[in-house]
Amino acid sequence: MVRRWHEWLLTLPSLTWLVVFFLIPSLLVFAISFRPAGPYGGIGEGWTLETWQGLANPNYPEIVWRTVWLSVLTTVLCIAFGLPVAYALARMEGPWRNRLLLLIILPFWTNFLIRIFAWRTLLHPEGLVKDVLLLFRLASPETQLLYNSWAILLVLVYSFLPFSILPLYAAAEKFDFSLLDAARDLGASRWRAFVSVFIPGVSAGLLTAFLIVFIPVLGSYAIPDIVGGPTSEMIGNKIAQRVFNDRNLPHASALSSILALIVILPMLAVLVRRRRRGDGAAGGRAA
Amino acid sequence: MRRSRIPFLTTLVVLAFFYLPILILAVQSFNHAKFGGRWRGFSLRWYEELMRREDIHRAAWNTLLVATSSTLVSMLLGTLAAWVIYRHARTRLQRFHFGLVYAPLVVPDILMGMSLLLFFVNLTVPLSIVTIIIAHTTFCISYVAFVVLGRLQDFDEALIDAAQDLGAGWGSIVWRILLPLLGPGMLAGGLLAFTLSIDDFVITFLVSGPGDTTLPLKIYGMMRRSSPTVINALSVIMMTVTFTIVLISQRIMLKKQ
Amino acid sequence: MNKKLLLILVLPLAALAALFTSACRWQSRPALYVYNWDAYMAPEAVKLFEKRFGCRVVLDTFDSNEAMYAKVKAGAGGYDVIFPSSYQAYIMHEEGMLLELDHALLPNLASVDREYLHRFGIDKGMAYSVPYMTGSTGIGYRESAVEGFEPSWTVFDRADLRGRMTLLNDMRETLGAALKLLGHSLNTRDEAQINAAADVVIRWKANIAKFENEGYKQGIASREFHVVHGYSGDILQVIEENDDPDIVYALPVEGFSIWEDGMVIPVDASNAGLAHAFINFMHDPEVAVMNMEYNYYMCPNTAAYALVDPELKEDPNVFIPEALRAKAEMIEPLGEDLQKYIRAWDRAKAER
Repeated sequence: MVRRWHEWLLTLPSLTWLVVFFLIPSLLVFAISFRPAGPYGGIGEGWTLETWQGLANPNYPEIVWRTVWLSVLTTVLCIAFGLPVAYALARMEGPWRNRLLLLIILPFWTNFLIRIFAWRTLLHPEGLVKDVLLLFRLASPETQLLYNSWAILLVLVYSFLPFSILPLYAAAEKFDFSLLDAARDLGASRWRAFVSVFIPGVSAGLLTAFLIVFIPVLGSYAIPDIVGGPTSEMIGNKIAQRVFNDRNLPHASALSSILALIVILPMLAVLVRRRRRGDGAAGGRAA
Repeated sequence: MRRSRIPFLTTLVVLAFFYLPILILAVQSFNHAKFGGRWRGFSLRWYEELMRREDIHRAAWNTLLVATSSTLVSMLLGTLAAWVIYRHARTRLQRFHFGLVYAPLVVPDILMGMSLLLFFVNLTVPLSIVTIIIAHTTFCISYVAFVVLGRLQDFDEALIDAAQDLGAGWGSIVWRILLPLLGPGMLAGGLLAFTLSIDDFVITFLVSGPGDTTLPLKIYGMMRRSSPTVINALSVIMMTVTFTIVLISQRIMLKKQ
Repeated sequence: MNKKLLLILVLPLAALAALFTSACRWQSRPALYVYNWDAYMAPEAVKLFEKRFGCRVVLDTFDSNEAMYAKVKAGAGGYDVIFPSSYQAYIMHEEGMLLELDHALLPNLASVDREYLHRFGIDKGMAYSVPYMTGSTGIGYRESAVEGFEPSWTVFDRADLRGRMTLLNDMRETLGAALKLLGHSLNTRDEAQINAAADVVIRWKANIAKFENEGYKQGIASREFHVVHGYSGDILQVIEENDDPDIVYALPVEGFSIWEDGMVIPVDASNAGLAHAFINFMHDPEVAVMNMEYNYYMCPNTAAYALVDPELKEDPNVFIPEALRAKAEMIEPLGEDLQKYIRAWDRAKAER
């Protein structure tokens, strides 16, 4: 009895905040997708399924496919690079650990646009990177480094890598590294120990990293807009176009609901996993 | 047993990768040219302009204020949320709670911004710095909660049980056991929240009141008609100042110990 | 331990700061809230207004008409004067968002260029908006990089410039350019013509690096792009700033678009009187000249024409000669027919 009261008390702050400032507004938005678009971009009267039917646009499948594969690849790369960095950080001692953490996050306190424009300078057809590539004969003078899917991938990985490092570090910091030594004692190679002991040990951090990289990348529009070419649009671009250029809010809401649905799937997977792990709490000892 | 050097080397590569554009940025801040990347001679004009531009000072101040406030509040609420979700994981309330915490991650910022704007307008809440802080806190809670949840994996319940056996009240359990253990997770989550808040454009654009410009808003505006070259100077100053502050505070704390 | 100390220190500081910031609003001078594009008004002009009327001007900037509209329509008020483009102002007027202007408070409107208004204006009677600046959308290019340049939209068909050109990411402007190339009006409501324009854009897509609304200035200055589709004042600013005679602005012979940014007062403006004074001030001939010399656009004010710097006056890119002007059109609102453009633009952007 007392337990339940405790639980409610602790849950109330975040619950209230999110219900008031998130749930209600979001339901509003979902409802908008069922209204027709007003003539000048407002929301019309009445309810309709037209907007959802309008989603059957022949151009969308390619855009969706591109969005999905770019997002998956970005996430995989972010985690692949994030894991060793988190590991190195967690193993570090002394004041340098926090300094390094700060050094890692500091570049991302400059403005997003400025960083991306710095990349445009770097990848300029007559810029630094191109010169280096030409030197090693890895490119020809006509090679265009920017305005294609690869440029988008590069800048996405750049922008989201710290988002994978932070949660992985948070989990790794708690990891008992003596387990690794034990594994080595038992004859496992360094790689084997890393994969079979460390990675499962930070699996919750891994999940968080996956979520907070994959999902925003899926909906990103600024990066594909600035460094992408005319043939590398993503879903986010379309949503932004609908909201700002075409002023078709219902359509944008519908598109976003689709995006949300694509992402609900991992969430369901998480919930199922939490259930299977012995009644929710890791360790399964919560009463 | 030789420890692999791969993690350390990877970290160096990653750091180099992170700072490459920053280097360009820093060099450009001394470039006389306003548009384009060509070097047009060394010049401090951007730093001079920065000193003059009060509108940029105001925007920077607003950005800092919003980021700090929303980070602090979301650290509090997010950690609380993570703790409860972890502790009482099986209940229906927590599953709903978890879904609610997860959801903001999923919604694109345009829609979140529009929905919050409509919400504030319908309640005739005047748009101001406060509405911006509320908006930022809302999406930051989820990030902090998830990072802290990641840290709660394999949390040793026995510690709490033992403390309770020894007669400790919840107060000291929180202060002496939970906070130190969750500390790095909270810090990581807080850093994440701060980073997100500093750069947010769309949501801030929609829920800000007249005169409440933040840096991202200012910079996007500069893109269209002029050129945000002066911001390079601001970035260099900002990074230098932050790093110096942290170094100094670390020295002070080390001395105390 | 130390992190907690830091937290405890920061919290009250933050609270103090919040109080301080909100207290700043209580200043004695009345405030005029202006919502404009960035770097559009000469700073000296704004300061002059502040001094003359004993107030302070709080300036917020937006980067696109649509973003501004979405925000204001949703209810985010508080602005006294807004500077939308003319077609956006029309829409805002239709939606009942604007105040009818009181011409008694706007004596300087007498010197607004009537010929311009009659020919290009959407709000010809200045009932709800007053023109601020007008300009054109044309082609900026680097003489040294483009052999045998012809001032025509066909430049975007040139395969030798592949990957070094940009088009505006603006549905009406880019489809408009294609329409002009095909000899149609850029305000056409004929779906066949619009679709033909979309096909042209798809053809052009193969040659351009990307669709770009802002970065083209940086791009052409840094030699990243050799040919860009852009606004007159922007490109002239680049030429001026970079002291680069290599960059030239050209108006295509097939025709091009003229656009206008105007000044409007939203219905919920808290200071309509001061707002009117501001609008009137902008058409004070000397002020208009200050602004023109700052942003390289043209303020349609006949009294100002006489006072403007002769170098600017002779610049065919700012004061467009009649022969070219005959082919120019203002982008007009199309109501329901806009859907045809949206469909065509969607297709143009997605298809190869």
